[in-house]
Amino acid sequence: MKTQLAMLVDSAKCIDCKACMLSCKVANAVPEGAWRNWIKPGSVQGRLHFQPGGCMHCENPTCVQACPTGATYKDPADGTVKIDRSLCIGCGNCIPACPYGARYRHPELKVADKCDFCAGRRAQGLQPACVDTCPTKARVFGDIADPGSEAGRLYRENQGRLVRVANARTDTKPNMFYLAATAPLDWPVEARMPSAMGLMAGATPLLRGLVGLTGLGVLAMLGRQLASGSTPDAEERKEDAHVD
Amino acid sequence: MATTPDLRLTRRGFLKAAAVAGTGALLGSLAPAAPAAARPAAADAPYDRSAYSVCDMCFNKCGLIARVRGDKVVKLDPNPKFLKSRGMLCGRGNAGLRQLYDPDRLRYPLLRQGERGEGKWKRISWDEALDLAAARMKEIGEKHTRCGMLFTAGSDMQSGFVHRLAEVYGSFNVTSHESLCLVSNNRGFLDTFGEVPFPDVLHSKYVVMAGANRFEALVTPDSMDLMAAMQGGLKLVVLDPRRTKTAGLAHEWHPIRPGTDMAFMLALAHVIVNEKLYDAVWMAEKAYGLEQLAAHVADKTPQWAEAECGIPAADIVRIARELAAAAPQAMVYPGRRSSDYENSTQIRRSFAIVNALLGNWDRPGGLLAARQVGLKGAFPYTAPWYDDNPFERADAGRAPIMFEEEGSFVHMREAVLSGEPYPVKGWFIYKTNPMQTAPDRQRTVRMMQAMDFVVCVDIAMSDTAWMADLVLPAPSYLERMDPASGLQGSSACACVVQRDPVVPALYESRPVFDIVKGLAQRLELGEFFDFTVDQYRAEQLKGLQDAARALASDGVYYNPSKVYGIYEGRAHKTKSQKIEIYNQRYAELGLDPLPVYAPPATAPERALRMVVGRNALVTHSSTQNNALLHELVPENTLWIHPIAAARLDIRPGDRVEVASPVGRGELAAQLTPDIREDTVYMLTGFGALSGGLSLVKGRGACLAELLESRADALTGNAAMHETFVTVKRAGAGKEARS
Repeated sequence: MKTQLAMLVDSAKCIDCKACMLSCKVANAVPEGAWRNWIKPGSVQGRLHFQPGGCMHCENPTCVQACPTGATYKDPADGTVKIDRSLCIGCGNCIPACPYGARYRHPELKVADKCDFCAGRRAQGLQPACVDTCPTKARVFGDIADPGSEAGRLYRENQGRLVRVANARTDTKPNMFYLAATAPLDWPVEARMPSAMGLMAGATPLLRGLVGLTGLGVLAMLGRQLASGSTPDAEERKEDAHVD
Repeated sequence: MATTPDLRLTRRGFLKAAAVAGTGALLGSLAPAAPAAARPAAADAPYDRSAYSVCDMCFNKCGLIARVRGDKVVKLDPNPKFLKSRGMLCGRGNAGLRQLYDPDRLRYPLLRQGERGEGKWKRISWDEALDLAAARMKEIGEKHTRCGMLFTAGSDMQSGFVHRLAEVYGSFNVTSHESLCLVSNNRGFLDTFGEVPFPDVLHSKYVVMAGANRFEALVTPDSMDLMAAMQGGLKLVVLDPRRTKTAGLAHEWHPIRPGTDMAFMLALAHVIVNEKLYDAVWMAEKAYGLEQLAAHVADKTPQWAEAECGIPAADIVRIARELAAAAPQAMVYPGRRSSDYENSTQIRRSFAIVNALLGNWDRPGGLLAARQVGLKGAFPYTAPWYDDNPFERADAGRAPIMFEEEGSFVHMREAVLSGEPYPVKGWFIYKTNPMQTAPDRQRTVRMMQAMDFVVCVDIAMSDTAWMADLVLPAPSYLERMDPASGLQGSSACACVVQRDPVVPALYESRPVFDIVKGLAQRLELGEFFDFTVDQYRAEQLKGLQDAARALASDGVYYNPSKVYGIYEGRAHKTKSQKIEIYNQRYAELGLDPLPVYAPPATAPERALRMVVGRNALVTHSSTQNNALLHELVPENTLWIHPIAAARLDIRPGDRVEVASPVGRGELAAQLTPDIREDTVYMLTGFGALSGGLSLVKGRGACLAELLESRADALTGNAAMHETFVTVKRAGAGKEARS
């Protein structure tokens, strides 16, 4: 298995204190009104349950399919979904293409923005801000392919219990794994793809063109996907919130 | 040591870097930083340097690492070596840098120009400000004796300097936040065990939490340890009229009738005593008064308690048996804020007595004694004697077992308003906000108006500062040097922390130490402040070998003192020298030696009981104007049960008018089944008056405006759950709902 940075979340530990949201907001200078991560309230066996989340750095990222310029791509080196701000034209196609609402348009930079697992902090040897600050250590981050890492150990030891939260009609295969029962499960929506992208990805009927696309953008995106070898496979669809 | 350590960050992880740092590799800055004047660095650019500090967004004092780019603090991270917080920083902690860079910060000394609270100010110099304050303090001392000055300081690592000034100036009149919070809880446990215990939640197997809300009112390490222990099998039972997040995450939530916790506790005692579920040998050796208790609770059956508190008798019996089966790794969680009812000391005594029956004192999973931290007192002094001073505090005698060093804010306010037993005409306030945190705001306004001179030192223009004569700007915790502070984190640690400035103080702000020193010098008391904070700290740390080095390299010093079994061969500080189930001193004073239950007041027709509570993103009234936190909690709402709302024709989204015998307020209704039908709730700290709090002035309703001025009979702790309110749709009566 090649390197895949991922997050494993024991949502039963979450107390909804929102430290992760504020830590992320400060670390990444996320503007007022926008967030890169969230906590959703739910219920498990009659008891309150909170589910932390953020960009899921999916195996089959619909945002990558929706991007006309190749600005959004899945990095083969570490498996994260990235945004190259210099290529982003701010068209906004990727925003409804994400079933999780993980993206927003940065009002000042005029580009798409979302969680990058705190790349800048990781380059300094620090944990992502949300993981570092969490009072109950509900979030564990790392390379699930590395058996020596805490994330790899949890990933391996919890096979059969890991839950991916996804929409049945757009299962992007998130790299956000919940350890055992989590809630809520019914919130991811079907990805809304721009029509041209939809045709190209071979997906089922989609909303028609949100933005006109340039041939150059399409080529750039194709090039990026070919290079990364992560062309989404539309055939692989599983049930909502299935157990791996 | 006046500089903060730079911590090298490496790709191999900060932890490793910090470990290396301990061996002396604390060198230099991290990266060839762009000059400060250059374009602001991108959010993911490397941090230039890191420095240890200690959070001040609430009272917990969590260790943190401030990340700095250029001359700006850009991120606050938890100190992973700080065991008390289990290496975390909460939402408020993360928002701390907004306190530092808040555009609403006070910048220079301000002197009131118009009427009190009118908001007309004149900028003056520090010399003018200190000359004026010292002259007024001298004048008040001469006219009304030195006890004519009241000193009130909030929880802060420099508050000790304010108390030092009060003492050498010559006033006994000192209050703090504590008599608006936890003095009755402290009293109840102190008068049972001889000291105020720390709950060892981490090693407990069964916790009954009555009133406390540890997953929102965060206390380190209890909040984190509670979740860790729950993951390991601890059972949590919560009694609360609200389904707080703690109640919602618990194994059981019992929406107890407000004010009846003692009935529940006495019934637990009844079951444990009747069924002999206690450790008889341990009790005989350690506790005094089991026989008296047995007689006292003979008729306090679970059926009796059910009729009072609404929790089924079968559940009470089961919980008592489950607690006893898990004992001594079981507890009734002591909690902190007990400013609820007029018999709150006795309610907390009933909590303490159940703990005594569980035999959990000084044992893993139970209630722990204070551990040795080892800080020394610095620069001891003998305060001058003032012949003309009265004999006692102005609030003395208004409650029989008040803490002498804390008094009672509520009773002190009455003393000021009545001028009895003597006039109190001056007020020095540091970083506390009774205008928002004491019940009955209009009474606090009148207290302000009764004063000849009020000086308030704070970071921002709180409502209390807004009512003062002189407002002095203090720096935030990230800009100042603070003395060392000893902390106990339950079984996690006994530790010492301190603060060095991460960045220089902004504007003209000055730490309160400089202010009290400046006043002392002008009042011919300079000899009592003849040191710097640096020197003071060195004195404090003198007995602790290695502490200075550990503080520099790890940001915290741990004293490896004993955790359990501290009381082996040691007497309790009670009359019997044992755990006093039956308090002999109370009997001597004519107080109930065992807690006697009295049913709570019944609500007037159509009225609802207001209860006070906490939220993990709000600290009392000090964080609402922080833009980062404000985005998540922009204003308070009135929690009301849908059935109660329907009776009042209140629908979701309606704004409602809430009225009590002392005040009124308007806010949005939040219809929720997470509160009892007879109870309503709203957050503290909104509906501010101050024009210096741009985000919360007039926003939401002010809880302090609504709460009646009531107090615990024994300690004078504020009693803030004794107010009934009426609720109606705002504007109702003027227009019919279509």
